[in-house]
Amino acid sequence: MGRILEIQRLNFRYPDSRKKAVVDFDLEVSEGEVVVLAGPSGCGKSTLLRAVNGLIPHMYTGEYSGEVKVAGSSVKDSSMRDLAQTVGFLFQNPENQIFMFTVERDVAFGLENLGVEREEMRRRVDEAIRLLGIEDLAQRAPHELSDGQKQRVALAGVLAMSPKLVILDEPTSLLDPRTAMELVDLVSRLRKELGTTFVVVEHRLELLVKVADRLVVMSGGTKVLDGTPRDVLFGDEAEGYGISVPAITRVQKMLAKDRLAPTERLLTAEELAARLGRGAA
Amino acid sequence: MMWLSGGFVFRRGTSVYHRLDPRVKLLISLLMFSVTLMVQALYQLAMVISVMVAVAAVATVLRRVARTMLLTASFSGFIFAINLLATGNLASSALYAVRFVAIVVSTSLFFITTSPDELEQVMKTFRLPRDVVFAFVTAVRFIPVMMLDTLQIMDAQKSRGLELEKGNLLKRVRNMVPILIPLVVNSVIRSGELAEAMESRAYGAVPKPTSLVKYRARPVDKAVTVLAILLFALTAYSFYFLLPAHFP
Ligand SMILES: Nc1ncnc2c1ncn2[C@@H]1O[C@H](COP(=O)(O)OP(=O)(O)O)[C@@H](O)[C@H]1O
Ligand SMILES: [Mg+2]
Repeated sequence: MGRILEIQRLNFRYPDSRKKAVVDFDLEVSEGEVVVLAGPSGCGKSTLLRAVNGLIPHMYTGEYSGEVKVAGSSVKDSSMRDLAQTVGFLFQNPENQIFMFTVERDVAFGLENLGVEREEMRRRVDEAIRLLGIEDLAQRAPHELSDGQKQRVALAGVLAMSPKLVILDEPTSLLDPRTAMELVDLVSRLRKELGTTFVVVEHRLELLVKVADRLVVMSGGTKVLDGTPRDVLFGDEAEGYGISVPAITRVQKMLAKDRLAPTERLLTAEELAARLGRGAA
Repeated sequence: MMWLSGGFVFRRGTSVYHRLDPRVKLLISLLMFSVTLMVQALYQLAMVISVMVAVAAVATVLRRVARTMLLTASFSGFIFAINLLATGNLASSALYAVRFVAIVVSTSLFFITTSPDELEQVMKTFRLPRDVVFAFVTAVRFIPVMMLDTLQIMDAQKSRGLELEKGNLLKRVRNMVPILIPLVVNSVIRSGELAEAMESRAYGAVPKPTSLVKYRARPVDKAVTVLAILLFALTAYSFYFLLPAHFP
């Protein structure tokens, strides 16, 4: 498996702030991985994502050092045009990334900008719409959509550009629990069907542990923890960085002190239920 | 506000008229508009307005157009009064007043049957710069969002004790400040986020972006165009040369 993303000693400071938003950050992501990035508000997660898709340094000026490589090319030396085709960015608020009056036209927005031929564009738009199961919304106007539907439309617009790497900034923050769950299932399905790599900034860890291969914890602009969700969440440091350790994990950690917890370090309600069911039988 | 949204905001429809090429709809409205300016007598204006009503009926927007006419009529009364005072000529004052209604109706017919998507297409056929078209697109796209924003802010501020409907004019204007400030802040944040999203989806990557949909004039569009131009020419000719300017 190749490296889709390599970040080496990245530092970034916004022009008007005294403190660096990202400090000596290192990260490597392999193709097809789902990486969850967590950390308290203001720790630099969104800034890091901007540096991955090139908004930093191409749109945001500031003090920049270190290296970010996507699919082997340096972000600094690539054009936004090329980056837009390798990295798809789903922003936190879907409302502000839907531009056109109909869903279908909006899904096509990026391809229109790239000058893709009409037949080819039609094919890719239909494919993206199918992948997200929003066929019945194709002719709707954005203001006729729910938040969850807007999220899907925005993601379809991102996927239509066939990015190898998709980054999502707190994608469930505006969604109700059920729609949030569906989004997580979608990520897992797209990874299987398309082999897309995902980097997801997310607070609701209990939702994402199911699909995440890795959990990276950030604090004060630096990476502080990096490992499988199981190792990171069951480690001693997780709570200290202000991330929301799922209740399932916390209960097991409490019970472990009295040697009452299962030794397998179970992550999800399903795993725990299966284990307890087995225990009772 | 009500008048504006009733008279000029597009609502989806499936009539034959809605499905015409947007450029044809624009042409029809422009022709109707021009005819209105050529009219020499009130009865001619009545003929023109009946044609507009017929078009509205075909477009199944008769009720909306009727409401627009009624609402415009009040402005018209104003125009009539001012004209009468200035000129003392009853016939020409009436002509001006009714003409205003006709002008509004011809314009409104275009806007209420043409989707923003089609408007964009029309702008593109006039070869307006991409940035201009896109600015227009986003402006229209965010009208409902901003309206919702405003309502939410108003509710939030009212629930904190802001009284919008109380006091004299000055106080009422001052009361708008707590509504306007969050609205402006919202818009600034929004435009920043929009700019990021545009960059990320390759806005401006190539000088000539392509388009998913292509509007092609169908035979019916061509037929309607020819018909409209013929009718226009005939009307214009008869207004100037055949029909008396005043009923004998
Ligand atoms: N556009 C900006 N200009 C200046 N400072 C910013 C900007 N965006 C974020 N920051 C600052 O950078 C730091 C990291 O912010 P951010 O990356 O948004 O954190 P997170 O996404 O983890 O909440 C914060 O201190 C924030 O105030
Ligand atoms: Mg953020």
